[in-house]
Amino acid sequence: MSFRQAFKMAVKSITGKKMRSFLTMLGIIIGVAAVVIMVSIIQGQNQRWMKYLESQGTNKLDVRASTWGYNAKDISTELSDYCMSLNDLVAGITPNLQMNEEVNVKYGTKTFSTWNYESWEDMITIYLGSEQYGLCNNYTIVKGRELSHLEVEKTNNVCVLGGRIANRLFDYVDPIGKTITLNGTPFQVVGVYEQKDVDNWPEWDNIIVIPYTFNRSLNRNQSIESYTIKAVDASSATRAVTLLNGFLKGLIPEEQGYFSVQNSNEGIDSANEENLVQSLVVGCIAGVSLLVGGIGIMNIMLVTVTERTREIGIRKAIGAERKSIIIQFLIEACMLCGLGGIIGIAFGYLGTLIAGKFMLQMILYPNMAITLGAFAFSVILGVIFGIYPAIKASGLQPVVALRAD
Amino acid sequence: MLIDVKNLYKIYNEGQESEVRALDGVSLDIDRGEFVAIIGQSGSGKSTLMNILGCLDIPTYGDYHLDHVDVTERTDTQLAHIRNKQIGFIFQGYNLIPDLNVWENVELPLLYQGVMGSKRRELVETALERVNLLDRAKHKPTEMSGGQQQRAAIARAIATRPPIIMADEPTGALDSRTGRHVLEILHNLHDDGSTVILITHDNGIAATAERVVRLSDGRIIYDGSREGAFT
Repeated sequence: MSFRQAFKMAVKSITGKKMRSFLTMLGIIIGVAAVVIMVSIIQGQNQRWMKYLESQGTNKLDVRASTWGYNAKDISTELSDYCMSLNDLVAGITPNLQMNEEVNVKYGTKTFSTWNYESWEDMITIYLGSEQYGLCNNYTIVKGRELSHLEVEKTNNVCVLGGRIANRLFDYVDPIGKTITLNGTPFQVVGVYEQKDVDNWPEWDNIIVIPYTFNRSLNRNQSIESYTIKAVDASSATRAVTLLNGFLKGLIPEEQGYFSVQNSNEGIDSANEENLVQSLVVGCIAGVSLLVGGIGIMNIMLVTVTERTREIGIRKAIGAERKSIIIQFLIEACMLCGLGGIIGIAFGYLGTLIAGKFMLQMILYPNMAITLGAFAFSVILGVIFGIYPAIKASGLQPVVALRAD
Repeated sequence: MLIDVKNLYKIYNEGQESEVRALDGVSLDIDRGEFVAIIGQSGSGKSTLMNILGCLDIPTYGDYHLDHVDVTERTDTQLAHIRNKQIGFIFQGYNLIPDLNVWENVELPLLYQGVMGSKRRELVETALERVNLLDRAKHKPTEMSGGQQQRAAIARAIATRPPIIMADEPTGALDSRTGRHVLEILHNLHDDGSTVILITHDNGIAATAERVVRLSDGRIIYDGSREGAFT
């Protein structure tokens, strides 16, 4: 019997038993689709979280220190000086300070309030920073320049804009050299940051940075309790954390203050660890659901063994070789499982796109390795259990196979 | 000698207490062109003998030469070829494949033989014409009466034009009128030169055969012309 004939026979067998064929495929469809969707969603979430962490920058230290009590001393200058003294470890430092009151940002006829905004995408924050604000917070200058050391020291009326607010204020006009007003105080725009464009954090591009020396005149001289420090590299960051902890412990007497030093690298490390754990958990769940799907396939295939054994007996009685029977069943199982697998992948892709859109607001594509792995697993399982009855029954004497009931 | 059987034994559970000797030393010669009826009570071993003659089963001991070929020495694949080319087997329960229509069922042994295209179509058509079932070719077995199914099974058995037709109680599940019709077809095949071996427990049917072999408890107790078989 030729391959073509075996193929035709397999097609006839599949279409002749539509219900059985459908049920066999169903196990594979559900198994593959479920695994693809589940793994994709978790990976999408992780991707988004990593993007958030990375856009914040690495080797970044968040230092918070505050004092209270009867004779609380202002430690901000000492802290700032100490940080700068670590100059072989530290690339930059900026106070982490923002304007607390409502500010009206104005250019030409356009006015935006920091308190009244239509949606959170339009929320504007005004930071009082050093000339290293961009460096510390992982912003890149796209037009113009950063604040200069001298401008900060001299409290010059200059500012740097985030990418989104620059577009909103100036449309397509070049903002460099133009003057905006903050509650009436004029500030000349010297630079614009590149947009970070991180999903769900549009406010990161809605910032205006002015010299922190305006704290006294524009921000009621709020005490500076938080600094952001950019370390030179990862090992410097770790060392700087140790040194800063030691320094602050000596600086702030117990019961009279609080301090903390956080390393952004730890966040990324723990996120990586978390991803790994999540991937393992999802891997286990995926494995179980594939197994359940596989058992479904197995059941359908084995339930039909009796019926198929008779059929094999008939085929043998009229002169089929063992080889022909096994080839026919193999083709049948391959077609059934392959088709089921392809439909499962299609559903998986569709499900992933839909879930990505509605759950994560992003265009999410399934992982190729997982998709192929799930496909291969269910197809192999299906094929094994598909030809199992053929291998078993075709080895029997025809009369024994015919007697199967 | 077309079929030459010597000292054939089929023993189940040999050596145990539950030992059953389905065939207990059967020797039988059948010539080309004979019409032989094998009769006996149920459990006499006639079906077992038929299954071995039809290469559907293997004997525990004994020799079986089919057309001078020692069947007991053949491999599984060689036996498949013998079943395909030499023997047309008709079962009591028809044994058609329910998912395939009549045409496809009849075509099946030709497919396994590797007969191609128009030659195959011609052979299927001839076989179906012979049993007067051409107009039902596209029907599934479940859509037909028992008599029609048995005729389809006969068409399948004769499609490859085998020299031997073996029928195991072919009329057992049919009413007497359709049974007579099936028997008529077998006689026609015999008239055209086929060797026909028929199993039955119906003396009336056996009486239409030239030669009758009677089995009892796995042994042949009568082998001769029909005239002496029923006395």
